[in-house]
Amino acid sequence: MPQTTIYVSPRSLGAHDTRPPAVVTADLARLFAGTPALAGVSLRVEAGRTIALLGDNGAGKTTLLRLLATAIRPTYGTAQVDGLDLDRQADLVRERVAYLSHATGLYDDLSARENLAFAAHMLGTPDRATRVERALGDVGLADRAETRVRDFSAGMRKRLALGRILLGQASLVLLDEPLAALDEDGMVLVEQLLAAWREVGVTVLIASHATERLEPYVDGRVLLERGLVAEVSGTGVSSTLPTPASASERRQAVATR
Amino acid sequence: MSTLRREAGLALAIARKDALAELRGRHATVSTLFFAAVVLLLFGFALGPDSARLAAAAPGFLWLAVVFAGILAVNRLHLLETDDGALEQLALYPVARRVIYAGKAIGGFAVMLVLGVVVLGAVGVLFSVDIAAAWLPLLVTVVLGAVGIAAVGTFYAGVTVRLRAREVMLPLLMLPVLAPLLLGAVRATVAALAGDPFGELGAWLQLLVAFDMIMVVAGAATYGFLLED
Amino acid sequence: MKTRILGFVALTAVAAMTVIGLFVVPADLNQGDAQRIMYPHVASAWLAYLSFGVTAASGILWLWKRDLRFDAVALAGAEIGVMFTAFAIWGGMMWGRPIWGVFWQWEDPRLTTTALLLALYVGYLLLRHLTDDPERRATRAAIVGVVAAVDIPIVHFSVEWWRGLHQTATIGSPDRVLNPAAPMVFVGTLLGMLGAFTLAWGYLMIRRYQLARADVQREEAARLDRLMSARTAQPAR
Repeated sequence: MPQTTIYVSPRSLGAHDTRPPAVVTADLARLFAGTPALAGVSLRVEAGRTIALLGDNGAGKTTLLRLLATAIRPTYGTAQVDGLDLDRQADLVRERVAYLSHATGLYDDLSARENLAFAAHMLGTPDRATRVERALGDVGLADRAETRVRDFSAGMRKRLALGRILLGQASLVLLDEPLAALDEDGMVLVEQLLAAWREVGVTVLIASHATERLEPYVDGRVLLERGLVAEVSGTGVSSTLPTPASASERRQAVATR
Repeated sequence: MSTLRREAGLALAIARKDALAELRGRHATVSTLFFAAVVLLLFGFALGPDSARLAAAAPGFLWLAVVFAGILAVNRLHLLETDDGALEQLALYPVARRVIYAGKAIGGFAVMLVLGVVVLGAVGVLFSVDIAAAWLPLLVTVVLGAVGIAAVGTFYAGVTVRLRAREVMLPLLMLPVLAPLLLGAVRATVAALAGDPFGELGAWLQLLVAFDMIMVVAGAATYGFLLED
Repeated sequence: MKTRILGFVALTAVAAMTVIGLFVVPADLNQGDAQRIMYPHVASAWLAYLSFGVTAASGILWLWKRDLRFDAVALAGAEIGVMFTAFAIWGGMMWGRPIWGVFWQWEDPRLTTTALLLALYVGYLLLRHLTDDPERRATRAAIVGVVAAVDIPIVHFSVEWWRGLHQTATIGSPDRVLNPAAPMVFVGTLLGMLGAFTLAWGYLMIRRYQLARADVQREEAARLDRLMSARTAQPAR
């Protein structure tokens, strides 16, 4: 793939140390039908860092990303993105966050270009037509712009979804298994994106199994096990244990109602 | 650009996207139309063959067929968003929730309008009703009815999209709410066809307008809560 | 304890009003004894509408405050409301048979509106039943409750218009009892019945709410338990 500069345009971000932490969570928990997917995570991610979320299936990586993306609401606990409350200021958080999930959220019957054009409109991208073409080129799908997404391979869909992220101005990018289903060129694209985002100061959270490939781009690592933080390493991220005090406080609160 | 214009543009973009996907892949509008035609035929079988009796009941048939087919139509519009998690992605854009509702409802309105006009013509033919004479008030009634069904249907389709027993819950929730619209639309149609002898057409149309406005506002205000989990 | 007193008072009041309504108050000149059922019928209808108003309002409070206790109130309102609605419809039909000659009269706005009310809230309860997650259930129920509540006045007006435009002269009308020009003894009995029924309604609502709230608390405690055991299962970092 030719080495072109990828066009990422986040909001104007200041220097590292002047910015508030990108993500702060306090005992963040989420239950599904009574089962805790996330059992109490207290993390702090510094702005502009790239952090890897590690852990087995069911450890809570996807749940954490979905919570931060405002796709789901927390059951307990609080979180702030760029200082904005996840629960009460969700619409403002949405303006700052981009999320690549397992599902691509693309419309099968529309072409690649039409999908991006629609996304650009929804995201409020300035200069839509040019940006869409640029994004298509940056992810290597310029020659497939007219093809219906229905006929795309899983890898191509993922690339298109990454192209959609390029259309926004997120300061926090959440990637759930970005390397899955990608071929060599696709993985190189992800590496280029990570480099581009780091340069501009975008904070990136990557949930992944296979991290060796992305090691050079990652500042810190968080290991999740059964909905809790098991281990934190590297720079740019720190964590505290879910405090027993807060748990019994809640118990008290329920008992006295 | 003012907020209203921007939001209207976004809503239309959503509707346009639905129309594009619909036209290209799904052929659902056509099958919904045929469903309405089949319903009309069955009415004829069930309540015929006396032409006078059928002609008198025709306005009722018209609106029942439109409402039943409408249930299918709004259901389909929400199924469009099950393409690989598209609804979740749609909810993540920095777009006001009422705009998403409006976009879906506009798409629904377009389908309902086509449905209403076609069924109107079919009723004219099948039950020997002279629609040409009163075409304007009939068209107005169809437009107002389409708005109401789209507004209510889009809302309930959103409520039931991930619900168990969706196929029965959507009509079960939607139909009682539509009762006043059904009443008003049928009464207006009867009045229009008869040349409005009692001067009641205006009152029924006003009822439809009131229903439409109230339901659009209620739907837009509450739809957003469905998109957060 | 206070609730128990309320229940006792309510029971006494309803019993007393029933006796008065059946035996003490004179029968209507035109409608005869059949008119007596109007007292509990109208009272039930009024409380049915009140219940659903409470459901809609509690739903809105849930959406605003996110406290599941509001949802418990909404549930109580819907269930009690369905009960009173069913009774009101039954009463209406029992009155209709001797007066109109038929059990059902389509153009009676109160009867048809109440029937639709029943359909709307049975749908509401079914929707609740089909959703497992407590917060999602509360949200779905709240918005459906709001739309249903908004629909009811429209239904009422539309059916009234329906009746008015056809001008069918009904020999017996339920309005006789509600007419302010009616004899004082009728109005008094109606108000008395209304008061008694409202006391009963209050008692039922409180009890049903207490049950629903206990469910909420139990679910909450179970959730926290599972959360805590998930935490303690982890080796400390």
